[in-house]
Amino acid sequence: MTEEFEPKIVGFLCNWCSYAGADLAGVSRIQYPPNLRIIRVMCSGRVDPAFILEAFRSGADGVLIAGCHPGDCHYIAGNYKAQRRGILLKKLLEQFGVEPQRLKIEFVSASEGAKFAAVVKEMVETIKKLGPSPLKVQMEGLTYASG
Amino acid sequence: MEQSQKETSRIGVFICHCGINIGGVVNVPEVVEYAKTLPDVVYAEDNLYTCSSDGLNKIKESIAKYNLNRVIVASCTPRTHEPLFRATCEEAGVNKYLFEMANIREHCSWAHMHEHERATEKAKDIVRMAVAKARLLQPQTEPEIDVTPSALVIGGGISGIIAALCLADQRFKVSLVEKEPELGGMLRNLHKLYPTMQDASEGLEHFIQAVKSNKSIDVFTSTVVKEVKGFIGNFKVTLQKGNSETANLDIGTIVVATGATIFEPVGMYGYGEHENVITQLQLERLLKEGQLKKPEKVVMIQCVGSREEKGRTYCSRVCCMTALKNAMFIRELYPETDVYLLYRDLQTYGQHYEHHHREAQEKGIRFIKYAQEKPPEVVAGKNGKLEVNVYHALLGEQIKIESDLVVLSTPLIQHKDAKELSKMLKVPLGSDGFFFEAHVKLRPIEFATDGIYVCGTAHSPKDTAESVSQAFGVASRAAIPMALKRLRTEAITALVDEDLCSGCRICEAVCEYSAIEMQEKEGKQTSKVLEALCKGCGTCGASCPTGAITMRHFTDNQLVAQVRAAPQVAKEVTKHD
Amino acid sequence: MEANKSILVIGGGIAGIQASLDLASRGMKVYLVEKTPSIGGRMSQLDKTFPTMDCSMCILAPKMIECFRHPNITLLTYSEVKEVKGSAGNFRVKILKKPRFVDLEKCTGCGECAQHCPVEVPNEFDMGLGVRKAIYVPFPQAVPLKYTIDDENCIKCRLCQRMCKAGSIDYDQQPETIDLNVGAIVVATGFELFDARTRSEYGYGKYQNVLTSLEFERLLSASGPTGGHLLRLSDGRIPRRIAFIQCVGSRSLKGGVSYCSSACCVYATKEGILIREHNPECEVYVFYNDLKVFGKGFQEFVNRAKDEWGVKYVRALPGEVVEDPKTGDLTIWYEDTTENVTKNMKADIVVLCPALVPRVASKELAGILGLELDEFGFMKSKDPLFAPVDTNRPGIYICGYCQGPKDIPESVAQASGSAARAAEVIIVATGKEAH
Repeated sequence: MTEEFEPKIVGFLCNWCSYAGADLAGVSRIQYPPNLRIIRVMCSGRVDPAFILEAFRSGADGVLIAGCHPGDCHYIAGNYKAQRRGILLKKLLEQFGVEPQRLKIEFVSASEGAKFAAVVKEMVETIKKLGPSPLKVQMEGLTYASG
Repeated sequence: MEQSQKETSRIGVFICHCGINIGGVVNVPEVVEYAKTLPDVVYAEDNLYTCSSDGLNKIKESIAKYNLNRVIVASCTPRTHEPLFRATCEEAGVNKYLFEMANIREHCSWAHMHEHERATEKAKDIVRMAVAKARLLQPQTEPEIDVTPSALVIGGGISGIIAALCLADQRFKVSLVEKEPELGGMLRNLHKLYPTMQDASEGLEHFIQAVKSNKSIDVFTSTVVKEVKGFIGNFKVTLQKGNSETANLDIGTIVVATGATIFEPVGMYGYGEHENVITQLQLERLLKEGQLKKPEKVVMIQCVGSREEKGRTYCSRVCCMTALKNAMFIRELYPETDVYLLYRDLQTYGQHYEHHHREAQEKGIRFIKYAQEKPPEVVAGKNGKLEVNVYHALLGEQIKIESDLVVLSTPLIQHKDAKELSKMLKVPLGSDGFFFEAHVKLRPIEFATDGIYVCGTAHSPKDTAESVSQAFGVASRAAIPMALKRLRTEAITALVDEDLCSGCRICEAVCEYSAIEMQEKEGKQTSKVLEALCKGCGTCGASCPTGAITMRHFTDNQLVAQVRAAPQVAKEVTKHD
Repeated sequence: MEANKSILVIGGGIAGIQASLDLASRGMKVYLVEKTPSIGGRMSQLDKTFPTMDCSMCILAPKMIECFRHPNITLLTYSEVKEVKGSAGNFRVKILKKPRFVDLEKCTGCGECAQHCPVEVPNEFDMGLGVRKAIYVPFPQAVPLKYTIDDENCIKCRLCQRMCKAGSIDYDQQPETIDLNVGAIVVATGFELFDARTRSEYGYGKYQNVLTSLEFERLLSASGPTGGHLLRLSDGRIPRRIAFIQCVGSRSLKGGVSYCSSACCVYATKEGILIREHNPECEVYVFYNDLKVFGKGFQEFVNRAKDEWGVKYVRALPGEVVEDPKTGDLTIWYEDTTENVTKNMKADIVVLCPALVPRVASKELAGILGLELDEFGFMKSKDPLFAPVDTNRPGIYICGYCQGPKDIPESVAQASGSAARAAEVIIVATGKEAH
């Protein structure tokens, strides 16, 4: 296996802004690397820190949470809450030896197809430099050990 | 691991080629074969267009034939096509919440057009994630809500006025809110209106009187919208007049008709420096008030602050016709005055405007095309005149005009306070600053948020005729929910497991809608969701320390299943099952 | 009367579809009359839509199907309005339902008949570039998905009748007249293309590689005659350079119409991007007069075409297109006004963007409805400024391209507008829907 490392990234996108932004990127045929797997949530505020930990535990190399711009949240302030949780979670991840750059919290509006593509592209590049998630490496060890 | 499913999931997966939109990039048959290996998938097929009536019939037939109780369509975005597939499932007796969509077009084939293999792998992953969620989907029933038969129209310009009148004529109550002391908006500044050249004030006055005498319309001038709460059919709106006076309204649907303002070209072409450099809007006022002193030579410059390389990139649509119209009025008023029109591309579209272009040529208006790379220059000339230098892009020569009036055609731009309104209503603005509609082609005058609509120049630059057309359109869209009187709303609300709830009240604190209250049950404090108020954002669920709150249709189990399915590799899964 | 609560919508394109859905979804009964065997109109022929590059059929199909399934909408396809009497609130309408020779109730749309039909004729949906059988559906996503025998070309071999397991073929079907009583009427008859043959200097109809933009749209489409492969029809060669010519018969005082069709600059830009998407090796030139970029997002779209896709724009209207009869290659002659010299450019395909004009048949319809037309044949608004969807006749409203040049979102918004006006008539006539 001498293939280049292709990170797997799990993205939580809010229905109103960022999911629509990702749609617009596609409709506009803006090309970006195919490393992101998108999970639609109604609001980025729905993203429980447990989901993020679960993503890393399941082998994700990065997690993206994208919601509406500050003040634009369809549900008033869910995006702020997501951001606050994200900051705390980054600290937690560090304690597990996971680089905080692997968790990215972004604001992408429904009209920002180009921004969405740029965010994904940048994130893929960042994580390629970091290499596979240390948690994944540990987990793989565990899986093999437990048979 | 997952339990509590009474029936076993029997999933059907329908994978769409979408002509070549998906099939030209993703190896669809390979994805079909892969889908067949996934747990609980009892049937999978591909369709040229799953959304065609042929494709929909196949879904229905397969539901009957294979006794499917979960359906996945892997095609485009649920934002446009989910309602159609959900309705199809319902027709075949499958609750619409047992349908799941896998977006392999916008999020895959269109975004990775040159990476066929990796796009195919990604499509498999997306389908696998959809299956993971679909296995755990539960049927839901949708609550019905009443719709208040009363509309709020924000903005008392011509768009708002027409929308209000048409809604009132459909026998709905209308509250028309205008921040200025008078109704009329932009038309109050205009002289004549193309293409009929009707007097703007005359036309406007007729409709203002109609509004004022209409008993179904309450007019609120010098008033702003202070707060909007609630949802379609049941908005609670607070208006504020002056500093203190407020009014509370129960509203069914909301029309945004806040219009636009004009760009002030300070620092461009000597504007703000020479008093004889004015905007087209200022000229319009001078003509309206009969105040224009006879100039010898007038130069009009188009695209001032619009169609820019960066920044304001858009074309403001109305400027060419406005300039043509005013140029002709100047020639009528002062036949000896030379009028030059410096343009880039003349926007004389439609069946009426080209005629005005020809008329202007006949009336001796001189058209000079300039290129974006070589814009005209305006400098102080002799005897208090202005010297305009321009490179004629068609003749390929430099031209100098001694002018005593330079008129700049500047674009319509969004009002500064639009941002505030956009936040209040939770509807987006586009990169051009104008309100951003739900779908550019097929939902041009409504927002993605149910019950809120947009028309006129709040949406994008347009002239009176076009604004009026949209205003009538909005009067239909905004009337539909009110005519229905009752609506079904999505069953995506929070759900509390009282056994797990510790009564910590965090959910109550984080809920922006006061949709959670505490109740006492068997001597224990637990939280309770007020469904009519809950909007389904899920913030409470994410904040609950004991995992007692989840969301209908976006349950923790379902999302975790998607999360776990995401990073797997397609080939491995194939082996396992 | 209950009957007066209904509305007649004439024309099953996107404007007629939107007007019907608006009215039906608020509980009003709609009869949607369409002349051809399927609703969908011009939009169904488009591959993509500008400036978003949405797949046209993909966004249209759900609306077509919604019309078909809506309990308040009765689709009358392959039908024409023959007579209208009465006034607002109470129109009496006669509709001619042409014989399909296929029983709509029985036909399953399986297509077995067409597979065996021995007669091939040019397919109107593909602008004549492809073929269909004498028993046909216009396109795969047609609504209703029911077959029609084209009486003019059918040789009565009865093979389809033998093949049809549902027993739906009925050669004895007769034209049927349907009498309707409606409260209001919405007209949405759309447009057609100016006949580019009359501009003989461009060689359309003479040279095989000179196409109209709508033909070219079909050539780009996955459901088109080449299955979405961009090939030259004359020799199947992959084109290396394609040129668009704007304003063919529009903005013209000598032959054609003097107005601007409003959509051509942007749809040519879209087709240009699609060419580059199909084949990045193929060069695209757009010959234009004034680039019309007035709509929301148009200028940004043209910028993207230039900067990201490499579509090239030349400001000149060519005087002549000449074919090399041996190769089928084309030479475009045009004047460079800045240098004051005549230049030429070779191209493998030349796409003409003809004026979009009102349907020829809309003249007859206007007569039946008692509507005034403007000098170009567009249905005349009562007041282009303040009553754009009203006509000289109360109770009859207009929307979409038949009222004047416009793009899809403008047609959709205006269709809703005509629905609002029609609804007003019904509310007044019935006294219902009062609050």
